[in-house]
Amino acid sequence: MRPLRIALTKGRLEKSTAELMGRAGLDCSALRDKGRKLILPVGEMEAVLAKAGDVITYLEHGVCDLGVVGKDVIMERGGQFFEILDLRFGKCGFALAAPAGTDFYQGYQIKTIATKYPKVARRFFQSKDMDVRVIKIEGSVELAPLLGLADGIVDLVETGATLRENGLEVVEPVADVSARLIVNVASMKLRKKEIEAFAERLERELG
Amino acid sequence: MRNYTKLTPEGARDLLFEECRALGEAKARLTRLFTRRGYREAMTPGLEYYDMFNLPGAAIPQQQMYKSTDSAGRLLVFRPDSTLPMARMAAARLRNHARPIRLYYSQSVYRSWPALSGRSHENPQMGVELLGAAGLRADLEVICAAAEALRAVTEDFRVELGHAGFFRLLAGRLSISPDQREEIRATIEAKNYGALDELLQPLGHSPEAEAIRRLPRLFGGEEVLSQAEGWGLDGSAAQTLEYLRSLYTALKDLGLGSRLMVDLGLVQRNDYYTGVVFSGYVREQGRPILTGGRYDGLCGQFGAQMPAAGFAVDMEAAAGLIQGQLPPEEASQVLVHGEPGFEMKAQQELIRLTEQGLACESSVWDSLEEARAYAEQAGIPRLLLVGESVREIQPGEEERP
Repeated sequence: MRPLRIALTKGRLEKSTAELMGRAGLDCSALRDKGRKLILPVGEMEAVLAKAGDVITYLEHGVCDLGVVGKDVIMERGGQFFEILDLRFGKCGFALAAPAGTDFYQGYQIKTIATKYPKVARRFFQSKDMDVRVIKIEGSVELAPLLGLADGIVDLVETGATLRENGLEVVEPVADVSARLIVNVASMKLRKKEIEAFAERLERELG
Repeated sequence: MRNYTKLTPEGARDLLFEECRALGEAKARLTRLFTRRGYREAMTPGLEYYDMFNLPGAAIPQQQMYKSTDSAGRLLVFRPDSTLPMARMAAARLRNHARPIRLYYSQSVYRSWPALSGRSHENPQMGVELLGAAGLRADLEVICAAAEALRAVTEDFRVELGHAGFFRLLAGRLSISPDQREEIRATIEAKNYGALDELLQPLGHSPEAEAIRRLPRLFGGEEVLSQAEGWGLDGSAAQTLEYLRSLYTALKDLGLGSRLMVDLGLVQRNDYYTGVVFSGYVREQGRPILTGGRYDGLCGQFGAQMPAAGFAVDMEAAAGLIQGQLPPEEASQVLVHGEPGFEMKAQQELIRLTEQGLACESSVWDSLEEARAYAEQAGIPRLLLVGESVREIQPGEEERP
């Protein structure tokens, strides 16, 4: 049987995950000193580094058993897998923001929302029974209301500093976000003991 | 406008040679298995009315269905599932048929999955439906047939048992709104332990709330049943556990022990299952290759109440499992070449040989040299020259006058 394979989201989450796995007693030296290798040994497991969306893709197809990915990506991309542990790092939140001092909800005109996360935005307004026009923006979403393209934005907010600098303020929080440990459905069934033991080791370190 | 003459649509594909052979072999194995167990083949149309797949409590998500309209503008779908039409057909046409009714099918289902997900939108499936029978024996029959179907394509499989009614029973005893219930169900389905704790916190302590809190972790071997039995549940919930225990014990006695798993947290949305549910897992497949269960309420929705259970096997995945194990394809043994004017005589000779069971090819070449070269390149050991007489010559040998 091949070793359990975990897909980590490249960048900040990867570092926090390596740190957490290190505290849990797994040998993460290969993750700190990666070189050009794409599949790295971590303790008894194998780790691969991938972009957030790809973590879910590899996991859903069963070529990776476990994954670490932000709740933001899970909410936007969706998919069928188990979300077994909140890792409590990579914390931030989705929020609806609009130009400071305006009342976003006033008036009967259809609102236009700029966002990198169209599904999250759509679901949020659906839960309010509000019809909005959602426009997908790839880069700095804060620009859209400044240019007059949108009435508001739905975006990830950490400290709110970027919003303030651009004359925007949070109208309403949409959802909390943090990193999650996710598991392929079949792996969870076929390799339950190993996966649960791993999740418990991490959970113990989270306190 | 762009022209799509050279491509197949996303999720649909051509199958060539080995793939066809593996799919054919997998189908042949399951056909043999099902017919020997007394199931008879049925087919339902590839096109059906949309309404049939939009029944209350048993709806297929509409974004997953390929739709079209008929000449009267009525909404049609390409069959997204075989159990619903089999239940429709049995309720309409077999209501007076002797019970039980054993059906098997081999037909494709069509689903529109999210773009670029790599999943097949056209998926060949085989399955059985056992209609007009309820109870332990009927459930055992269907689960055993499922295990045998998996064994026909791989030795390394697992069968997982659950019960569609267990969560419904527990949730029914909590005072929660339908929205809350759906939220709880979704977190159990995703095994999202943390979120489930948060949802249950405000509901206080009760054996049911405590049981629901543990549901997503309740999968594994027999110990899962023992744990749940220790919760002091009463009434229907206790009966459900008792029933699962008797199924488990019976299947263990049949030698399925090490292949059996239990998941009390199987809580699918919108599905027609009412009793035991089960899935088949194999290595290197990220999702179950077999799913099934008991659906006692479905035929009633089509006007003829009868208990029923069945399962479907993903034949694309099943074919993938046996593709590497098949013996190499048999090459042609003889190339039959007719001299000019003797083409039909060559065909007659070829018919004679194929009737004897020899794999032959007819030469499409004008000259013997070309036929000889072809036989050598294609690895055909014998070359038959048909003229006034029929002579066998070695492909490498020079013809002597």
